[in-house]
Amino acid sequence: MSLAHETLASLRRRLVAKEIHPRDIIKDLLAQIDAREKTVHAFTHLDGQAALAAAEKADLSLPLGGLPIALKDNLNALGDPCTCSSKILEGYRAPYDATAVARLRQAGALFLGRTNMDEFAMGSSTENSALGVTRNPWDPTRIPGGSSGGSAAAVAGRLAIAALGSDTGGSIRQPAALCGCVGLKPTYGRISRYGLVAFASSLDQIGPLTRTVEDSALLLSALAGHDPRDNTTDLRKPETFLAKPTGSVKGLRIGLPKEYFLPGMNAETEASIRSAASWFEKNGATLVEVSLPHTPAAIAVYYILATAEASANLARFDGVRYGRRAVDPKDLLDLYQRTRSEGFGPEVKRRIILGTFVLSQGYADAYYRKAQKVRGLLRQDFESAFTKCDLLLTPTSPEPAFPLGERTQDPLKMYLADVFTISTNLAGNGAISVPCGFTKSNLPIGLQLIGPRFGEETMLGAAHAFEQAHDFWKRMPPV
Amino acid sequence: METDAAGMSSSGNWEAVIGLEVHVQLRTQTKMFCGCINQYGGTPNSQVCPVCLGMPGSLPVPNEEAIRRTILTGLMFGCRITTVARFDRKNYFYPDMPKNYQISQFDDPLCAGGAVGLDPFLFPKDLQETDEAKAKRSIRLTRIHLEEDVAKSFHYEERSGIDFNRAGTPLMEIVSEADLRTPGEAFAFLGSLRQVLLSGNVSDADMEKGQMRCDVNVSVRPVGQKEFGTKVELKNLNSISGVRRALVYEIARQIAAVEKGEAIQHETRRWDDEAGATFTMRTKEKAHDYRYFPEPDLLPVRTDQGLRAAAESGLPELPAALQERLMKENGVTAYQASVLAADRFLCGYYEKAALGTQHKAVVANWILNDFLATQPDPVTSPVRPEFFGELADLVAGGTINSAQAKKVFAELMANPSSPKALVEKLGLAQISDVSALGVYCDEAIAANPRSVEDYRAGKGNAINALKGFVMKKSQGKANPAQVDEILKAKLSA
Amino acid sequence: MSAPKLNVADVAGLARLSLTTEETTKFTAQLSQILAHMETLGQIATGDVPEVVPPAQPALRKDIPTPSLSVEAALSNAPAQSNDLILVPKIVE
Repeated sequence: MSLAHETLASLRRRLVAKEIHPRDIIKDLLAQIDAREKTVHAFTHLDGQAALAAAEKADLSLPLGGLPIALKDNLNALGDPCTCSSKILEGYRAPYDATAVARLRQAGALFLGRTNMDEFAMGSSTENSALGVTRNPWDPTRIPGGSSGGSAAAVAGRLAIAALGSDTGGSIRQPAALCGCVGLKPTYGRISRYGLVAFASSLDQIGPLTRTVEDSALLLSALAGHDPRDNTTDLRKPETFLAKPTGSVKGLRIGLPKEYFLPGMNAETEASIRSAASWFEKNGATLVEVSLPHTPAAIAVYYILATAEASANLARFDGVRYGRRAVDPKDLLDLYQRTRSEGFGPEVKRRIILGTFVLSQGYADAYYRKAQKVRGLLRQDFESAFTKCDLLLTPTSPEPAFPLGERTQDPLKMYLADVFTISTNLAGNGAISVPCGFTKSNLPIGLQLIGPRFGEETMLGAAHAFEQAHDFWKRMPPV
Repeated sequence: METDAAGMSSSGNWEAVIGLEVHVQLRTQTKMFCGCINQYGGTPNSQVCPVCLGMPGSLPVPNEEAIRRTILTGLMFGCRITTVARFDRKNYFYPDMPKNYQISQFDDPLCAGGAVGLDPFLFPKDLQETDEAKAKRSIRLTRIHLEEDVAKSFHYEERSGIDFNRAGTPLMEIVSEADLRTPGEAFAFLGSLRQVLLSGNVSDADMEKGQMRCDVNVSVRPVGQKEFGTKVELKNLNSISGVRRALVYEIARQIAAVEKGEAIQHETRRWDDEAGATFTMRTKEKAHDYRYFPEPDLLPVRTDQGLRAAAESGLPELPAALQERLMKENGVTAYQASVLAADRFLCGYYEKAALGTQHKAVVANWILNDFLATQPDPVTSPVRPEFFGELADLVAGGTINSAQAKKVFAELMANPSSPKALVEKLGLAQISDVSALGVYCDEAIAANPRSVEDYRAGKGNAINALKGFVMKKSQGKANPAQVDEILKAKLSA
Repeated sequence: MSAPKLNVADVAGLARLSLTTEETTKFTAQLSQILAHMETLGQIATGDVPEVVPPAQPALRKDIPTPSLSVEAALSNAPAQSNDLILVPKIVE
């Protein structure tokens, strides 16, 4: 069997036992990539030769020694491109490592491939990429989800063992659900954002996309922890997650937020989630109905706050210090306007305009400041729910992968697809999506577990138990 | 129309209303949000990193020392220190802005309120005797906050070149209320502000080196009117005296306009020091919409968990208090106190000199007059401050007289050594022995019968000739007070 | 919350974007729809939302220098440079 089908954990065991060499893993992945990358297009950049060379120098004494990871194309890695799937960062080469990348390096990991994404992480389908569309390995006529669609498609399509993505409103979890792999968004402040090209500073988090929950915990352990370069990282002591999984969910109180189970929801998704909920109950957990009453306001709050922050975060892309610059600008204004108008795609422009508007004089109080206050209410909703339960269980996505091109002309409809993931970013909690079923047409369905802030250990334990009791994680796409 | 130095039209019924916005570069080791060196004059773009270059993915982390110095500044000016201070993003596009937003403070600045006292000696020299200076007005501050400086640009024919070394320097913004009324007050405000900053070791605040920058808001209104007139912002002011000159011009310009019935444009004008006038800047008609919002990359700063205490422990003796003390305890004049308060090294030198002696005012005179005349740089002078105290004590104790002291002083400047040693070396010890002096006095009486007669006849001044004879005979070493006593005793015998 | 007056061209100008007429029309329609969805926020009572209490002291940075980029690295991505300066069209005050 190809090493490309294995997990980080199993490969580590075999590397340490000297059954295999790091170059064997790279070779098997490159073979898979040769066979299927043309269809899937998970990557924006691939340097097989560099990965093979690094494999020769791998230090197996380090915790992730010899293991290859793919990076979403918005993570700075010294000397490499970092396009964010945008024309405006054409030619940019990172002059530094993101902390997350540096920590992986320090742990001995290798890098193979930079993955495709929605431009500047703005999107839920990876159709907003200036570097081509990524296809769902389960059905190439459908989206892989977004914005970390390339990472999810690579992991699901066995073109990568594991990948890093980023999640601002669901961008790790939703593609993980649509592609049938595990996607973890840690609690805000767990993993340093230094070196992650910012979309929305108070919402962004880096996280792993993997085959299994165990792999997810492995990467979280390597990445988490205070970074003096990121003022928003939490100061608590680093942990090793899932060091001793019990496999038991006995005694856990699982909350089902009623606002996430509305009449008219996708039937197959609902059936799959309810079946998962039953499994928890049958195995000793208690199901509790809870309420997150401000859920209906979440999309509005998100699209006000995220776009506001993004409008400022993307102001730096002006052709002055790096990236693409408009040719022969006649003056400064022309430099700015043409560089940005030529360099950004329509979704990015739309969000910058919206974000600028909600901050502008005369509107900031009604939009930005109001949304901040409602965000406080959403956070209270979660805190209150967690007094009644230990974890929340919800669908990750309202429906499975929809066809490419179906929503590109309807941004609002596209935004509404984020409804189940968005609130966690606003509240700052951690959440994980794990495969929990398939539709009749063999499309993956994902289950989301949301934990209290900094409650990853409980969340990972429950997710791991569920995963290992089922075979969903072993199924492979036909592509 | 003539305007006097205070900028008031001689037709007399207008008053100027002036507010200042001062930016002070903090002389910390590193920049405000990254660890790059904060230093003037390096090779362009050699003191930059992903943070201060605004690279994608970079994040700011605040400089604790910059915050401490800002709190200290607030304490020195009597401000309220905010318990939870926050940073905000100020959004606008400009090539010297690495992120096209500046991290600043809007809603919750570190310091609010406070005031700057106008030191009379920091008015322009030609105004120091005026009521304006003697009024010792206190000018209220609105706020003091912390932000990052922008990069430096160099302009060529068709292009501009940008050096990001300065980008990210910690900048303290001090905003005054519109309490100033004259160019002289504005001059004194800046000098007084600067002096306090120097005393706290917060910044060198030298305007000509760009360490302190000042924008001015000025309007005019009829005396007695409560409402403000339309205000004009002045930029490109490169020195404290430049601020004064610009205000004199602009106030006159505005008064001339309103007297003609013209409206004042609410605009920004550029001061041209060479031309001696202000000119409209080519700015947009619309006011900037900065779209301030809280900086999401930075947690709020609590000043009550150690930062305020750290600042308090660095509080210096403020210039006003220092001057009071020197006048009261050391007996120096107000003018002398102001000179000392303006020069920290000199003040320290003087205080060391005055430490070992009771004659602190005498020492002040010597240092500020004679010492500075021959050794203009006290920092490098080999004359140890203790020597002055020693010298003062030698005179007061009668070892030498004041004429001799002058000789010792001259030698002290030329070949610095302990005054005691110099007295020995020069053989100048004053003669105070009564019998020795008695001999000289007898000689003087014998040699000057005319003067003796005049004195006994009632001409008191005639004794001076006799004294002079004694001083000459004793090679200036006779103790003048004793000589006077002895001669008088002998002459009235 | 009253219906907002979204002038896409003006706002785009603030963000240094120049849109085609087609883009302006399309975005106006799309963004108006999105903003209409946001009207619901106005109905939510937010009087009593507690302030998020900041941690005791976030990790501030000590005033100790750390290595800077070399000039080469700093300028390596600059689209136009000369004499170690990054070049832009002339800045006119």
